[in-house]
Amino acid sequence: MNYIILYDGSFNNLLITIKYLFTNNIKPINIVKEDNFKGSLTEYPFKPEISEFDKLNILDKNIFKIIYYVYLSNNINKELVIYFFLLNYYVYKSDILKHRNLKCVNMALAISHKVSREAHLLKGFTRFKLINNEYLYAKIKPDNDILELLSMHFAKRLKNEYWIIEDEGRKIVSIYNKDKFFIIDRCDIKLNLDNTDNVWEDLWIVFFKTIGIKSRENKRCQMSFMPKKYWQNMIEMESEL
Amino acid sequence: MTLEEKLKILADSAKYDASCSSSGSTRKNTGCIGNAAINGICHSFASDGRCISLLKILMTNACIYDCKYCINRRSNNVPRAIFTPEEICEITINFYKRNYIEGLFLSSAIIKSPDYTMERLIETIYLLRYKYKFNGYIHAKAIPGASPYLIKKLGSLVDRLSTNIELPTDTSLKMLAPDKKTKDINNSMITIRNNISKTFAPAGSSTQMIIGATKDSDKDILEKSANMYKYFHLKRVFFSAYIPVNQDKMLPSISIPPLKRENRLYQADWLLRFYKFSVDELFDNNNNFNYLVDPKTDWALRHLEEFPKEINKVSFNELIRIPGIGITSAKKIVSARKVFKIEFKDLKNMGVSLKRAKYFITCNNKYFNNLSYLNKEFITINLLNDNIKERQLSLFD
Ligand code: SF4
Repeated sequence: MNYIILYDGSFNNLLITIKYLFTNNIKPINIVKEDNFKGSLTEYPFKPEISEFDKLNILDKNIFKIIYYVYLSNNINKELVIYFFLLNYYVYKSDILKHRNLKCVNMALAISHKVSREAHLLKGFTRFKLINNEYLYAKIKPDNDILELLSMHFAKRLKNEYWIIEDEGRKIVSIYNKDKFFIIDRCDIKLNLDNTDNVWEDLWIVFFKTIGIKSRENKRCQMSFMPKKYWQNMIEMESEL
Repeated sequence: MTLEEKLKILADSAKYDASCSSSGSTRKNTGCIGNAAINGICHSFASDGRCISLLKILMTNACIYDCKYCINRRSNNVPRAIFTPEEICEITINFYKRNYIEGLFLSSAIIKSPDYTMERLIETIYLLRYKYKFNGYIHAKAIPGASPYLIKKLGSLVDRLSTNIELPTDTSLKMLAPDKKTKDINNSMITIRNNISKTFAPAGSSTQMIIGATKDSDKDILEKSANMYKYFHLKRVFFSAYIPVNQDKMLPSISIPPLKRENRLYQADWLLRFYKFSVDELFDNNNNFNYLVDPKTDWALRHLEEFPKEINKVSFNELIRIPGIGITSAKKIVSARKVFKIEFKDLKNMGVSLKRAKYFITCNNKYFNNLSYLNKEFITINLLNDNIKERQLSLFD
């Protein structure tokens, strides 16, 4: 049978589902989030009854991080990549990362690297505005689902500020109350975003324009380090768009 | 003068300093604002393609010295400004909160005397740390000739404390920066070196050298830089291509900064620090770098008898001497070959770039092509062609 396995979209549920597949020796042709499943004539959707299954035991922290980052990615085959990666993990244990002749290992590493790279870039490229002298607000539009990773960073860095970061594409926001952050749907919160913050924004743009050296101008290099897709939310680049 | 006008003048006069990365410190946020990330974070990239990480400004550009190459020199007729300590703190905090910057890079022209200048810098940074409770990254410049106790005070407030060497040799310094003394610069670096600890400039010290303002060769520059790493325990030596901003008969008459040269020096600096090359190995009879190929490839082309190297056999230290194979790739190779025999396609799949490496290696005893291709002219021409092709392709991006 050509099984398409459905899961509820959460990381937890994905791991439990994969364990179910291993235990029952089911080889899926794909694993997809149930909301995304569009129906098919040749394939059978199947959502396992899995409440009695424990989560997969992944003892190695590094391995756990890799698959979690793959899960956060926008790669359309990410679930299958995780499935095959884990299948091999149970054969090779922590040696798995040496097996760079396996496609799933190279893919998992490349995808997780991409996610971690984007999270790193946005630690720098995220721009806050001070709203009503009350809280900081930033909008981002990342390819991958890195809002949680970014929130962990800012919860340390700006721990005595109230802040909100909105992922425009996924329509979710992270709200930080000087103690913890919560990620909720954008539609569950009303925000008054009147920007009262022009003074510092203007100064920043002055600084930004001044600091580049004319006789070294290299826009190609600028763009390759700071891809254009991020410019829309970076106040200093808006005039370049 | 408005804050905006001041910022314009004092960022403009600080922009030629290249040493403004934000790495090397792991400061935790202990109840105020800010922390530091060990690998540094770029917050933006300027129109010249350089990373903007820190608010890079001078406290003042009103200098009593007259260094020939410097826009701020006494004899230049340029607008002058000075920030108050509060102004610097306000900009830093407000930029930091909005995540424009990773921290502050504060340097200064010399007003009144080195000690007076240092005291003003200390006052500012003290205020920023204790009144504004700023716990992010701070890189300050120590003023050569300032008293050691002031250097010690400043070092206890910042993440990185540096002194600029400015030029590669004593003779060049005398010629172009007549007010500066090599002895003062060295003493300042020694005081910093002797005090570095968890509570004194924990991210260490760096320096910057101007490239191309004097006749010093690439070898002179690298030797100087290697010595400085050794004696002053520096984290980084930054090279800054000379940019003509002044007219002076002592200065070379160039109109374009020697960027390629700067790039070659950085590549070579990397080879010295992480790839176990020595300065002598990087040069043949010529004391300047080959502009056509990078220093590692240049070295390999002069030692073709050592190649090709078998990827599945040679040691880690030999792997990192292969052009195009960096530390990360070498680590991947060493770990992977424990469990399987690596072929060319595996290297590609694990993300090892073959553009340069392919000429210098065998995989499982196979060369990428006919072994007669392992010759200097063929490889050089092919690498140059690749570069041209890449440039043409990127025009269509
Ligand atoms: S000391 Fe020399 S290099 Fe420094 S600001 Fe003054 S003139 Fe410029």
